[in-house]
Amino acid sequence: MSETTSVTNRIPGSRRYWYVGLGALMITWPIIFGNFWARIGVGALMWIGLAQSWNMIGGYAGYLDFGHGAYFGIGAFAAGIAMVQFGYPFVVGFALAIVVSIAISYLVAVPTLRLTGAYFAIATWAFAEAVKQAALITGITGGTFGLSLPRSPDTFIGVALPFQIGETFFYYAMLMLCMATMSLTYYLFERHEFGYRVKALRDDQDAAESLGIDTTRVKRQVYVLSCVVAAVFGSVHAWYIVYIHPNDVLATIITDRMVIMALLGGLGTLTGPVVGGLLVFLLQRLSSVFLGSTTFYLPLIGILIMITVLFAPSGIIGILRGEIDRNDVRQNVKDLGEKFNLL
Amino acid sequence: MTDKILQTTDLTKQFGALTANDEISLSIDRGEIRGIIGPNGSGKTTFFNTVTGFYKPDGGSVHFDGKEVTGWKPYRLARRGLGRTFQIVSPFKNMTVRQNMLAVQTDDGRSREEKRNRAEEIMEFLEIDHIANNEARGMSGGQQKLLELGRVLMLDPELVMLDEPAAGVNPALESRIMDHIHELNRDGTTFVVIEHDMHVMKTLADSVSVFDSGSHITQGNFTDISQDDAVREAYLGGTTAEEDGVPI
Repeated sequence: MSETTSVTNRIPGSRRYWYVGLGALMITWPIIFGNFWARIGVGALMWIGLAQSWNMIGGYAGYLDFGHGAYFGIGAFAAGIAMVQFGYPFVVGFALAIVVSIAISYLVAVPTLRLTGAYFAIATWAFAEAVKQAALITGITGGTFGLSLPRSPDTFIGVALPFQIGETFFYYAMLMLCMATMSLTYYLFERHEFGYRVKALRDDQDAAESLGIDTTRVKRQVYVLSCVVAAVFGSVHAWYIVYIHPNDVLATIITDRMVIMALLGGLGTLTGPVVGGLLVFLLQRLSSVFLGSTTFYLPLIGILIMITVLFAPSGIIGILRGEIDRNDVRQNVKDLGEKFNLL
Repeated sequence: MTDKILQTTDLTKQFGALTANDEISLSIDRGEIRGIIGPNGSGKTTFFNTVTGFYKPDGGSVHFDGKEVTGWKPYRLARRGLGRTFQIVSPFKNMTVRQNMLAVQTDDGRSREEKRNRAEEIMEFLEIDHIANNEARGMSGGQQKLLELGRVLMLDPELVMLDEPAAGVNPALESRIMDHIHELNRDGTTFVVIEHDMHVMKTLADSVSVFDSGSHITQGNFTDISQDDAVREAYLGGTTAEEDGVPI
């Protein structure tokens, strides 16, 4: 089938109805289910977007970025500083989040992308910790007090809007951002030659260089792009939750979650972060809402990660696509049994 | 346009105390197929890596198509028309054959459509068009060699350096690869080929350069080389290629 065939023509007939139904459900979600489920929707969409942003550099390019959460915080504080310290409306903070994240991520990319594997992971993790500590001692970020953002109808674009900026507004904002992230990922990484070059450098950097690919440039482009996406979600999140603190929006757990979501769903795939993001977020939120435990989901996630790494390295998407070889699974079970003297 | 497509002068590469390439001076004529032979560890692949920019030389110079390119990055050389393959075949395993072809980057101003058409032409020429949508990881070793050659051809190269193109390939596919190289050569592409298989070398190469212990010890046509005492001692174990079963 030609690469240029339109997307709709590629979707089989029966599936089209599912997609239309899913689209309609997503659009009407806050209207049908109300504020509580709109709030769940905001979180799910944000985490899907964040997992996808990490998937760009971690999955498609194969660079394990353990400092990615820093850009979520940088975006949040860029918006917060613009609104609180300078009195600008949110759109200015949003634009500032993009500009600042481009500048910082490029400066970080130049030295760190010379490293690979664990060295890159450690360098980016150290960068994220440095950002957090800097935010804690800097006055403009509110230091240990954090920042409280305004959220009246005139704080969006500077003039009063005729509607409330509440759960429904943020649901649609996150829906648009998430869809934009998914579309960007689909076009750039799955359909455009740029994505082929990114995957090429992940599979074999020397071979990629020998085929005219400037791997240094491509790596920097992916890194900056993925960081900007994280920062954009961070800026909207800051305005949504109104109060931001370095220990929250720059916490290490933010990166950890992105990694887990992408890994569970399927690294380097378009839909993996969607599946992984939904699963992890819903496990966390629903276990706290219905079981009253904020930590119950952690051992569940741990077990799921162990199963994924051992038996389904291509993630849940790999299982759904039938990429898991039963013989490999049997062999892994046998190896484990022998290792722990169970067989 | 110069007659010499590639010229190295006193090219030297050291790894600590080991001199892997010791002042190698070599020139390749435009349109020829040059073979490079030598025992394992004689510096053939290091020579490839130094010429194509993967290693920075410790001395000497490289001229490609009349321009000094010493120390250029591999991607710049590739875009200028110097293509290469690797000893260990290296397809982008998680991509389809077509995507492997389209990943290649040139700066010749071709549109996306032209590039896609060129990819289809090359896949058809190499007879891998029927597996264009298959993932590269599922291909046989021989098909992966063809894909590797196909990707290099996407560069529209003036010179292609092939590192053991026939290694691990069955005789039928080996013959196909040789035919493709001959056909491309007739169309003007120059080749430098490292190969241990003397049958292949005899069939393919217009002239042969012999490496030993990091040095370029001699050069000539296959018949002369196979009867050279120094070559027999260094590479053919004291026998001639004829005694080794290769008809001369």
